Amino acid sequence: MADASTATLPADPAALAQFDPVDIAQVTRPPLVTSGRNMAWITNRVCGIVENKTPLWWWIGFFITAPIAAMTFVLLGYLIFTGIGVWGENVPVAWAWDITNFVFWIGIGHAGTLISAILFLTRQRWRTSINRAAEAMTLFAVICAGLYPALHIGRQWMAWMLAPVPNQYAIWPNFKSPLLWDVFAVSTYFTVSVLFWFTGLIPDLATLRDRARGKYSKYVYGVLALGWRGSNRNWRHYEMAYLLLAALSTPLVLSVHTIVSFDFATSVVPGWHTTIFPPYFVAGAIFGGFAMVLTLMLPARYLFGLHDMITAKHVDVMAKIILLTGSIVGYAYIMELFVAWYSGNPYEWSAFLRNRIAMPLFSDHPAPYWWAYYCMMSCNVLSPQIFWFKWARRNVYVVFVICMFVNAGMWFERFVIIVTSIHRDFIPSSWGMFHPTWVDVCTFIGTHGLFLCLFLLFVRFLPMIAIAEVKGVLDSADPHAHDEHGHDRGHSRKFGYAAGPQREEPLPLVGSGVRRAYLKEVTEHNVADHVSDPAKHQAPGDPNKDEDTGKPGGHAKG
Amino acid sequence: MKRVFQHPPEQPTPTGRKYWRSLGELRDTPEFREFLGREFPAGAAEMEGDGLSRRNFMQLMGASLALAGFGLSGCRRPESYLVPFAKSVEWLIPGKPLFYATAMPRRRGAMPLIAECNDGRPTKLEGNPLHPASNGATDPIAQCSLLDLYDPDRARRFLDGGSGKLEESDGAKFAEWLKTLRESLGANGGVDTAILMEQTHSPTLARIRAELAQAFPALQWVIYDPLRPFNEAEAMQAAFGDGVMLKPRFDKADVILALDSDFLNVEEGGLTASRDFSNRRRVAKAGDAMSRLYVVENRFTLTGGMADHRLRCAAGQIAAVAVALARKLGAAGDILGAIPGVDELAGRVSGQEKWIAEAANDLTRARGKGLVVVGPRQPGIVHLLAWAINSTLGNLGNTLVGLTLPERTPESKSISLLAEAINANKVKNLFILGGNPAYNALAHLNWPALQKKVANVVRLGYYEDETTAAGVRWQVPMAHYLESWGDARGEDGTYMAIQPMILPLFGGWSELDLLAGLLGHEKNDKPDLVRDTFKTLAKPAGDFGSETFEGAWNEFLRNGFLADSGYAERAITLGGGAGAYVTKGAPIQLHPAPTPDALEVVLAGDYKVDDGRYLNNGWLQEMPDPVTRLSWDNAALISPAMGKRYGLDVGDIVDLTAENGTRVRAAVWLAPGHADNSVTLSLGYGRKIVGRVGGESGFNAYPLRTAEPNQLDQTYIVSRVKLAKAAGAGRYLFATMQEHQSMEGRNIVRELPKEIYEKNTGFDEHGRSFVAKMGMDEHIPANIGIYQPARLDGMHQWGMAIDLNTCTGCNACVAACQSENNIPIVGKAQVVKGRIMHWMRIDRYYSTLNEQDEDPQALHQPMLCQHCENAPCETVCPVNATVHSEEGLNLQAYNRCIGTRYCSNNCPYKVRRFNFFNYNERSIQPQESGPFKGETSKLYLGPLGPKGMPEIEKLQKNPNVTVRMRGVMEKCTFCIQRIEEAKIGALRTARDSDNKKVPRDSFKTACQQVCPTEAIVFGDLTDPESKVSKVKEQDRDYKVLEYLNVRPRVSYQARLRNPNPAMPGAEHVGKSIIDNPPEVQSGGHNLHQGYFPGAHGENTGSPARGAINK
Repeated sequence: MADASTATLPADPAALAQFDPVDIAQVTRPPLVTSGRNMAWITNRVCGIVENKTPLWWWIGFFITAPIAAMTFVLLGYLIFTGIGVWGENVPVAWAWDITNFVFWIGIGHAGTLISAILFLTRQRWRTSINRAAEAMTLFAVICAGLYPALHIGRQWMAWMLAPVPNQYAIWPNFKSPLLWDVFAVSTYFTVSVLFWFTGLIPDLATLRDRARGKYSKYVYGVLALGWRGSNRNWRHYEMAYLLLAALSTPLVLSVHTIVSFDFATSVVPGWHTTIFPPYFVAGAIFGGFAMVLTLMLPARYLFGLHDMITAKHVDVMAKIILLTGSIVGYAYIMELFVAWYSGNPYEWSAFLRNRIAMPLFSDHPAPYWWAYYCMMSCNVLSPQIFWFKWARRNVYVVFVICMFVNAGMWFERFVIIVTSIHRDFIPSSWGMFHPTWVDVCTFIGTHGLFLCLFLLFVRFLPMIAIAEVKGVLDSADPHAHDEHGHDRGHSRKFGYAAGPQREEPLPLVGSGVRRAYLKEVTEHNVADHVSDPAKHQAPGDPNKDEDTGKPGGHAKG
Repeated sequence: MKRVFQHPPEQPTPTGRKYWRSLGELRDTPEFREFLGREFPAGAAEMEGDGLSRRNFMQLMGASLALAGFGLSGCRRPESYLVPFAKSVEWLIPGKPLFYATAMPRRRGAMPLIAECNDGRPTKLEGNPLHPASNGATDPIAQCSLLDLYDPDRARRFLDGGSGKLEESDGAKFAEWLKTLRESLGANGGVDTAILMEQTHSPTLARIRAELAQAFPALQWVIYDPLRPFNEAEAMQAAFGDGVMLKPRFDKADVILALDSDFLNVEEGGLTASRDFSNRRRVAKAGDAMSRLYVVENRFTLTGGMADHRLRCAAGQIAAVAVALARKLGAAGDILGAIPGVDELAGRVSGQEKWIAEAANDLTRARGKGLVVVGPRQPGIVHLLAWAINSTLGNLGNTLVGLTLPERTPESKSISLLAEAINANKVKNLFILGGNPAYNALAHLNWPALQKKVANVVRLGYYEDETTAAGVRWQVPMAHYLESWGDARGEDGTYMAIQPMILPLFGGWSELDLLAGLLGHEKNDKPDLVRDTFKTLAKPAGDFGSETFEGAWNEFLRNGFLADSGYAERAITLGGGAGAYVTKGAPIQLHPAPTPDALEVVLAGDYKVDDGRYLNNGWLQEMPDPVTRLSWDNAALISPAMGKRYGLDVGDIVDLTAENGTRVRAAVWLAPGHADNSVTLSLGYGRKIVGRVGGESGFNAYPLRTAEPNQLDQTYIVSRVKLAKAAGAGRYLFATMQEHQSMEGRNIVRELPKEIYEKNTGFDEHGRSFVAKMGMDEHIPANIGIYQPARLDGMHQWGMAIDLNTCTGCNACVAACQSENNIPIVGKAQVVKGRIMHWMRIDRYYSTLNEQDEDPQALHQPMLCQHCENAPCETVCPVNATVHSEEGLNLQAYNRCIGTRYCSNNCPYKVRRFNFFNYNERSIQPQESGPFKGETSKLYLGPLGPKGMPEIEKLQKNPNVTVRMRGVMEKCTFCIQRIEEAKIGALRTARDSDNKKVPRDSFKTACQQVCPTEAIVFGDLTDPESKVSKVKEQDRDYKVLEYLNVRPRVSYQARLRNPNPAMPGAEHVGKSIIDNPPEVQSGGHNLHQGYFPGAHGENTGSPARGAINK
């Protein structure tokens, strides 16, 4: 868009003057970091989250989520010691909440690496302020997901048989089994995601190390920073590594859920046996993943006052992705129905008509799980359509509510696919119902506790925003920022920022007492005039007053 | 213990110099010898004072260290002991079972059996293939009776109530007491003594009884068995005289009319009926004749399921049908005349005249080859009418033959007369041999109170049950029939031996032991009494000729029966008929027509627990009822239309109040095809004092029985009962194997009328038959797989064929499979969850014309692992735990299985079973405390719950089949242990030759072996002459879900119905697939019943069509 707009503009700067700068600002991109925040502010704000006194809400959150997380493990222990029977599965429905939750969490784990890798490769610079947290979320989601396939099996202590271990019986895993592909796909994805995430963390860990005041924190961050010195060589290697890992992760983003979908697509079960599953699952995963990113980031942004880095533009863009992927998913749902009908195969059609669509309103014999199907449809297909409207994308409350719908809807999607397909398949005599037990429910709730608890630990001990990368998208990081011909990067300065920043969310907002106290602390800890008075923003073009000047980690590249 | 090194004796050196170390050595002094043996020189510190040596010290320390925890003493593997047969037992080859012939005493005659014994413990029962009545087949009850032997809850001890309360005693003391009693009896001839027993067919027992009667002439003999076919016997005696038994010949009958007769239930008809009937239904090729079956009944039975035409009719109104039929055929004029209100009675069939007329016409056409049979629930007058009809149609002597009973059982008293005697204080000693009168005696007698009035009650019981609790002087543990010597006559009169397979596990006595004890015989484990009987029966003259007695006796034991000892056929004519019957003293009473306010309740014997005696048998309890598919419970069966009228759904609890105010509470089950205004409640459930298996199951129907079997009314059919929904009683949770009753228009069980089959025989140019192309399999596109199919290059290729035309759905195969393959039971709560473990199941579907149709037809289909050549379960297993053998078996390696359950999801037939818990090692009983008390089983307690299978249950396990642990998937193996044994046998006989093939059809799978109708055929497909290859060549052969290209090795032969075109509704018979294109048929929806009633479709229905209910 920038290229297109500049192409239509006359080359002569004088000619530019005839445009009203404000109008031009409206057709160009808004800045990725608003309020004219400089590098120092970014460092302080992000590191402050780690360095300042733990806010009360964090403790509250931690003491709620940690026991819930612990409950997961207690229940999984109960499962291992007693048998799969403590869950509600039976013979027609041999997979239920376990695999539903697995696919649900794996799906959530998609957004992080997508944001980090694919958006990195496609030079989507807005990714910088959300990628770190999204990646962390990915890892935690994959951890939650990984619990299920590892522990849903009947003899958990024999799970090692899934590994291709050479043994004296010359028995190998069955390489035809999609479940085995899952093992490889998920473990690879997790490994690469961890590496990618950690690699990206290194410069920021160095920043934390350099700022650390405690003996132990200095030591720990020092070890984790792997001796980062911020030298040119460091940066060169770092960027190459990051690029390579991004390239490596990109196919994995697509492959993981494709392979998860093979669990179903390669089977003979009507409702599972569908070629549309791989793209449909990937789209669904991105859809659900972005919703979960927003679910986490919106409160974090509010609580830590990160509005200048996670701007309305970010929310807006992510809402658009949700709209897009939600519509793809909706298309897939409809196409699945069409194919089931068009195939002329009564078993297929029955799996959709009798097991899902038939609702009490228009059928004498409603599908037992019709409500799950309609939950899925309304949450996933209908609710994101509100994002066609800009006001909806710009209203964080609307966005948050829709994201919650999507989260629920995506869980129902997996439930619908798994349970409603197998509960009534070929032979009517074997039809059955699935009813979750308290262990099913509490284990699932427990994984949420685990997920949130890990996320809380993450925001408390690691920089939740990629400091170095965000600095990279600042104007001041752009050598051509002052260049009038630097159309691409300079426009925001020239036409947008210089004309006066558009601040969608004034800071500080009137917030809760907790938050206000927190902001006050941040202010006191750092230089007062950065935050306390928005009017005192640095004028454009001022040299960056970075407290960390001279410290290697504090500098943005370039 | 200190080890002293023993020096080898020094060889004397013959030559040369002798070297020595000391003078002591040279002289070989004792001191030197000791010195050599010692580890340390004398005086060195050795802790010898208290027996401690250095070595001892080290041993002790090492052991203490290991015990102290470093050795993780808590984590060691469980110890087990394998004890070898130190002394070889004669005939026993380790690892090889021994087979002995025996017989199971049953109500209508013993069933010939072969017991497989492994290491001296019976592990499996088979039918006796030498015996023509069995031909290797049995029924579910016989199969499961094995489990009773190993029931941990069976009576294990002698209880002596002499001191006022029951104290443990022993057999010797009881024998002593019995001796004293006998001496005292001698004085008064036993006038104050009564013996209450069940129906037996044992000639030895009869002989002992005769001897006892001689010794104690005043002894009172009472026979009571709640399901004894008393009406029939009484009427038979009246009509044909003494010593005659009637035997229907289903093998000769072209047209059969069954009036409330479930002759395909082995308990009612015997194995012969099933076999003979199915032989006349078997169609090997087009043009083969088939018999035609008309059934009139109030609820669906196995027989009703096989019917070509079925008329729903309240059980009490069967008499009306019989009268109308007799009138139509002009038969039984004298009997009709004796029936009061016969015109009104005949009028009750209004609306069904055509049905009856056409059935009559068909019977007339089949003169001499027709057969009308009546069930034991019907009053004697209906039996008489049927015999009269058969007589008129010339069927007597052809399809209904008379048999001569050689020995006539002496007259016995009824239980009511015994009750009178007890009330008159005329009974001081009462022997209760078997049975459970405190539970199942007629309700108005109030048996428990009666029993307390008798001074000495000697109870020989298999369980310490209600009768024991009602107060006894002696409780004697009863021996199982596999533990005791005995004999019995079979249904056809064949004299059979009952051989013990094992000594009584708990020192139990048999009936014979006890009666012989009363006669003064010492109790022993020898067959002397039976030998004496055999001697007189085999050669009454006592001359065994060249064949010595021992030889004859051994042959008798080896074969299990005495050849040609069956009842002889005799000519019969219908004698006095009604007149004779009425003069027997029973007034002809007939049941009033049921109305919505005055229903009839039919008390039927249960398919599983019989009269309640098998209530603690886990296999039988868990086996689904073949018709309702309910396990663990009985239910008040009502028609869906009736449910709608009363606003009742499945699980609603109702009160059934009889005219005399007796109230029985039961939960409702909507049974399609049930007559309106009629309720069926099977007997045998709702017992209070049962073992751990049977407790809390079902509803007791006995309180409604208030009359003797020989009184016409209120025996099996209780009239004028009011039904009301019990307020506030909530819903009862049923456990059903099958939630969905309709086939949904799918072509799973294929049936077609014979006429259509005859027009569409043979194969098309693609080698596909009409049956194979039914439904959506008409066109199957070519299917290309990307995987290499399994290598199928074995010498044998195993396959199975199941003929749906002869399968009655009796469940015998299910029971046999459970017994053969160590399949655990899981308990009601787990069945509710859908976790039953049966490897084989019998699916039962109903087909109807539309949702309003109240007259469904039933279809049965045995379903087991189909051993697909292209098995979907195999590709998805991540660990290669389920793989294909080169002989075409779909194998399951339990050791390799990690339990992902993916195979089960991908199995189109849903025949894989998962061990959700350690069903073998953990208790399935409900929890006794805690938050889930009574609701969930102890399985959920995990490691905190009780562990371990009772020792006695372990004895039953088949040593050739793994007992599976939790977390693994299991399924039918085609009885791989039998296949391997056959292959080993073939290898052994082949020796060096190349002919290692298993001889054709030389062995059978468990399900095949047990099948009374030979519907299941298993064998080698590479042999074109094998039975299974022949069957699979038929044009009725089809594969379920063929379009999936899984290529199952099990195929089915389509069901044929043989409707009479003149009958009303004949145009729809057998057309459930033909008339219903996929997804159009919706008939079964209203038959949908769930685990959680009310969650699913409601039951709709118009006023009944084709039913007599007014």
